[in-house]
Amino acid sequence: MRTRLLLGVVGLALLAYGGYQLLHNSSVTHPSEVAKWLVIALIVHDGGLAWAVLVVGWLTTRVVPARPRPYVQGGLACAALITLIAVLLIHRRGHAARGLTLLTQDYGAHLAVLLGMVAAVVGAAYLVRVLRDHRQGRSTANDRPAADQTSPTE
Amino acid sequence: MLPERPPARWPRFDRRLRSTAVTARVGRLLGIAFGLCFVTGLLSHYQYHPWTWLPVPAAPAWGYRLTQGVHVITGIGLIPLLVVKLWSVFPLLFQWPPVRSVLHALERLSIAVLVSSALVEVTTGWLNILQWYPWTFSFVSVHHWLAYVVAGSILLHVAVKLPLAREGLAEPIREGAPPGGISRRGVLAATGAGVGVVALTTVGQVIPTLEPIALLAPRRPEQGPLGVPINKTARSAGITHIAASYRLTVLGPRPFDLELAAVEALPYLERHIPLACVEGWSVSARWGGASLLDLVRRAGGDGGSTVRIVSLEQGGYGTSTIRGSQLHEALMATHLNGGRITLDHGFPVRLIAPDRAGVLNTKWVTRVEIR
Repeated sequence: MRTRLLLGVVGLALLAYGGYQLLHNSSVTHPSEVAKWLVIALIVHDGGLAWAVLVVGWLTTRVVPARPRPYVQGGLACAALITLIAVLLIHRRGHAARGLTLLTQDYGAHLAVLLGMVAAVVGAAYLVRVLRDHRQGRSTANDRPAADQTSPTE
Repeated sequence: MLPERPPARWPRFDRRLRSTAVTARVGRLLGIAFGLCFVTGLLSHYQYHPWTWLPVPAAPAWGYRLTQGVHVITGIGLIPLLVVKLWSVFPLLFQWPPVRSVLHALERLSIAVLVSSALVEVTTGWLNILQWYPWTFSFVSVHHWLAYVVAGSILLHVAVKLPLAREGLAEPIREGAPPGGISRRGVLAATGAGVGVVALTTVGQVIPTLEPIALLAPRRPEQGPLGVPINKTARSAGITHIAASYRLTVLGPRPFDLELAAVEALPYLERHIPLACVEGWSVSARWGGASLLDLVRRAGGDGGSTVRIVSLEQGGYGTSTIRGSQLHEALMATHLNGGRITLDHGFPVRLIAPDRAGVLNTKWVTRVEIR
């Protein structure tokens, strides 16, 4: 309990200090602009991104058959995380001032390569799974419980 | 009073996958990563605002390269990690009743502050690396002060959630997810793979051996002229050419000035000094030129002097201050990796010193002032 109290007090102190400085240095920090960004961040994440992920997740349960589903979900999650970083690189390419060594790569093509690799790894993992199921199905017949068939990493 | 049960259309979630077991594990990593960013960020801040009695040391020469590389690569990796953490707790946004007590309301408010400040902190950092500033405030000030808000909110959050986090970490990760979908371990594996790919494909802008796979790095350091990137062009600094009347002036008890030919005729030293940018990229380079300390001594200063370097560039980072061991090691560089430095690299002469934030290695030097 003492640890928690200490963490809480130090946390509150840092929070208050940062907040105070943001307000105190308003000529450079523009508190109303910061507040706008803080609110927009919440709206974009909680009101947009999170729901998009929910919809895609729901679609995978409707469209994708049970056996490949965990692989597809894992692959999509991994791909989404990589895309999250790539998207602004792609968007900002060509915006850097002339002569700068900045954003010089073809990030769209690079993203395609990386997503292709994710798809290949996921596809290979699924293939191994199918082959293993096939072999086990022949050797041990039906003595495995059905629920065991859906866990992706076992 | 609110009804005991939420309204019919209130969002409902299955929390077996988005479980405390997953949240605690991702959260632990996220906390460590934010801690690393906070500490390395403060070290970077110190580069720009050192205490007079404790100048930034020249050794190790790769100090800032390491700390700022860690800051930026960890910061980039934080972005995917943060959204996974938020994904895992998203159902709690719709907990019922929304508020149970004043204390609960305050706790939920502190989480709103934590989430929004963390999102803005990583976003501003990422956009700064891309040199994109779609806001009116000063990036440096807001990124700096908001870091305290994020760090404080995290500590407060840990204080509140510590028992739950311990419970989550003790809970096995193997079981618990609903059948027919990805497992908890699957979520952690996909997260690890995503964050891992992001880190591996960006860290090449710090670690040269990984540059060939730096597919998502904003910069490929080797692509720059003379093997060093350009982060500010002469044109953007308002410098189109160096006039014939150029002089390097050294002000001190015995002031003097040198024509360009005289600068180039000074005793020539070569040193391997990495150039490390606040934006995270860094590169090792071989610099050649005159010893700054020799010039300072000739003008009547010594190793204990505080020296101000003034550029032809007006405003911005047109001046910097150097003292202590960095002054002893500093070069007024005319050459880079064996070639005469180009106008974009700071021709006719630029400052370079070890363990010094990139932009403080002032380009287009026209005056050296001993304080």
